[in-house]
Amino acid sequence: MLRRGKGLQAPRLTPHDADRPAVEAARRDPRAFEALYRKYVAQVYSFAHYELRNVQAAEDVTAQVFMRALAGLPGFREQAEPPASSFRVWLFQIARNTLSNERRRARRHPEASIELAEMMPATDDVAREVAARDELARAWEAIDRLPEAGRRAIVLRFVHEMSTREIGEVLGRTDGSVRVLIHRAVRRLARQLERDAD
Amino acid sequence: MLGHEEGPALQTDAYIDALLGRHAGLPVVVPGPEMLPPTAMRRAIELLERALPRVHPSFLFEARLATQLRAAAGGATTAELPLGELVVLPPRELAGVAAAGGASVGTMDRRLLVGGAIASGFSLAGAAAMFAWRRSRSRRRWLD
Repeated sequence: MLRRGKGLQAPRLTPHDADRPAVEAARRDPRAFEALYRKYVAQVYSFAHYELRNVQAAEDVTAQVFMRALAGLPGFREQAEPPASSFRVWLFQIARNTLSNERRRARRHPEASIELAEMMPATDDVAREVAARDELARAWEAIDRLPEAGRRAIVLRFVHEMSTREIGEVLGRTDGSVRVLIHRAVRRLARQLERDAD
Repeated sequence: MLGHEEGPALQTDAYIDALLGRHAGLPVVVPGPEMLPPTAMRRAIELLERALPRVHPSFLFEARLATQLRAAAGGATTAELPLGELVVLPPRELAGVAAAGGASVGTMDRRLLVGGAIASGFSLAGAAAMFAWRRSRSRRRWLD
């Protein structure tokens, strides 16, 4: 008979990580890692580009992240218990750490940043292009002024469409604190937009 | 400390969820009037949802890193690898690029930047075709 004891816990279901088959395939044969790379290269690059504003630096960080992920894959464990981890969360944790190292390096060796808003080519519809450029510049400016954690949370939420739970796992925070972080960042932008309108 | 902000933060998050869900074509729960954030907050959320572009690495970088990873994974040597391949972007991003050409600003999908330069549907396809053409030309030169 099954008795409830101190060490006995009800089995918990592990939510299925959609990447599990690809991760297992890559564990068996590292060459299969390419499927995961193809799936996530744009997301990691985008995350790095938002942080560093420099194509070369974003490429370097992206390369480091995937090289580290490939090397570290045997040690990766998907888990449902806190701190929960899916492959995507794990990859973004590597990206966050790599970016922190890169930012420390960049502070020592500052380089000119590239503004995304300046890189938009002209189109035939000048008025719309100007409005879009202005809009992008305002959003970009607002993000620029945010503290690091707020900026990362906004990029992960809006660009990568992560849930607050996933963002919490990447940033090492609770779900609730990520929601508040995002709320404060949006409130800051809202106030700035109101000031601009006056 | 965060207690007094939890309610408004939940409202903000529910509104973001609804916008992102709509963007992805998913069934969304539209928050009722009592759950909506104030107008200024909604405008800011809509701006972030609409204006922040996705940034895609250049195709050359993506192919080069794939080659490095294959070599690191103990796969084929660079000499054995195909000289180039087209990268298939997720349909949603392509759909977004296409939509950006014709939709009004209010419904415009998020822009897509390749490398660091913005891409229209035309230039994206053009870049991919040009890349494939250049790679096939260089391969042909090697084979000749």
